Amino acid sequence: MFAISKDFAPPLKLIAPFFKIGVSFYLIAMMALLAFHGSFSYQEMAVAGWIHLFLLGFVMMIIFGAMAQLIPVVLEVGHAVVDLYYVILPLLGMGTIIMVMGFWLEPSLLSYGGVLVFISMIIFASEAFVTLKKTEIHTLTVKTIAVSNGYLLLGILTGFVIALGLSGVVTIDINSMLKAHIYAVLGGFVLLTVMGLSLTLIPMFSLAHGFDETPIKRGFILVAVGVGIVFIGSIISVTLLQWIGYITTLIGVGFYIYQIYSIYKLTVRKEMDIWAKSMLFGFSSLILSVILGIIYLLGATPPWLHASVWFFMLGFIGFLINGHLYKIVPFLVWFERFSPLVGKEKVPMLHEMYPKNQANMMFWYSSSGTVLGGIGLLIENDMLFKGGASFLIVGASFLYLSMSRMLRYGK
Amino acid sequence: MCQITKEAMFKAISTVIDPEVGFNLVEMGLIYDAEADEECNAKITMTLSTRGCPLHQMIKTWVQEAVEKLDGIGNVEVEVVWEPAWNISMAEENVKQALGGIPSN
Repeated sequence: MFAISKDFAPPLKLIAPFFKIGVSFYLIAMMALLAFHGSFSYQEMAVAGWIHLFLLGFVMMIIFGAMAQLIPVVLEVGHAVVDLYYVILPLLGMGTIIMVMGFWLEPSLLSYGGVLVFISMIIFASEAFVTLKKTEIHTLTVKTIAVSNGYLLLGILTGFVIALGLSGVVTIDINSMLKAHIYAVLGGFVLLTVMGLSLTLIPMFSLAHGFDETPIKRGFILVAVGVGIVFIGSIISVTLLQWIGYITTLIGVGFYIYQIYSIYKLTVRKEMDIWAKSMLFGFSSLILSVILGIIYLLGATPPWLHASVWFFMLGFIGFLINGHLYKIVPFLVWFERFSPLVGKEKVPMLHEMYPKNQANMMFWYSSSGTVLGGIGLLIENDMLFKGGASFLIVGASFLYLSMSRMLRYGK
Repeated sequence: MCQITKEAMFKAISTVIDPEVGFNLVEMGLIYDAEADEECNAKITMTLSTRGCPLHQMIKTWVQEAVEKLDGIGNVEVEVVWEPAWNISMAEENVKQALGGIPSN
């Protein structure tokens, strides 16, 4: 028996800025796509700048805000020091801006921005570890949070070393360190976090029950081990190890996809709302990303890898996050402003609290943009890529507008 | 002898709506039992649609407050249990219809 009391729930004023700023960074990142072309190298500083803008400003910002709310739900205990999130937000926000400026304009800024991001993530990971120690719950999601935070620390450390290397402070093999860094953050932290949280959130919102968790357990172990192997293989520059790691990770993702399919088969709610549509597009993008990634590993040219990463980041991660925002934000607003009124006056239902037309426009523009942009990258067609970026900007604008409306609801 | 029946308590609890799905807890099949002793002290046994429900404590309080509105009621205790685990077959037909039916496996 457990209870999530109101004392465990962080206040809306603490969490809302993470979502508002995260969505703002998403809009800026989509606008910045217009400055790029359908053909590029992922080692370019400008590309690295955009990836950090998207991953730190949008993905990490939203994940941190969501974790502030979800950690007490998943762990069934309160945060160790929830007020630390007031410090994490400005450090991550400022650090991201300075880092991106470093990548785009002045490389000497990189280490300064890196330090701010480094501190914010150390605080986040430390707070999460201390909170983890308080719980007696040992579900798969809890284990996922522990392992993914470990990889986050490794990702931060390698990123910081790269920043020092680029600034000329230390001499390192930047290419090897970059691979380790990308894999620890994208595969180790982002993918494992999404896998863990989706196992809690997707059955909760779809009302699916009684599914077997064996596939996700296998998937989780394989991805965690696979990422570790690639990480070590990259640091010590052993290609064979990296290959074993790639294959292990891909098999793990396969198990994860199968788990989601088995949950989908047991889904009670068949309504295709913005959340359900976003999940469908997100997981379709993940499957496409895996297929493109396999083709690349079998010897295809770099555009196949670029398209694979594009569908993973914009299609899978982007849609999983944005789709859940339409569930999580109305809930937070409802919990803060309307739950005290239950039984005293009529309160809105959660689905009434998001603007459906704006949400649908977000979905159609963003999904069209993701597909067009992905094809543009694959065939290295600049016009298609820019067309996709334009659609994504419109979609992101609708996301921003609907986020503002959801946060103002009932104010 | 207490005059408060199980049906009266279920009716009182049916005013509590799950804000996520929009149905009351009774038609969702989340209320397993309600009994009152001779002094009209009530014990409600219920579950939730998901174990990680962030509204857990609040829903318990709403159920308690709804039953406390009954005339002559004594102490009200609400216990949340996880066995048997809730599934859609426990819901009323209108809920199953509105949600889109039972799973396809």
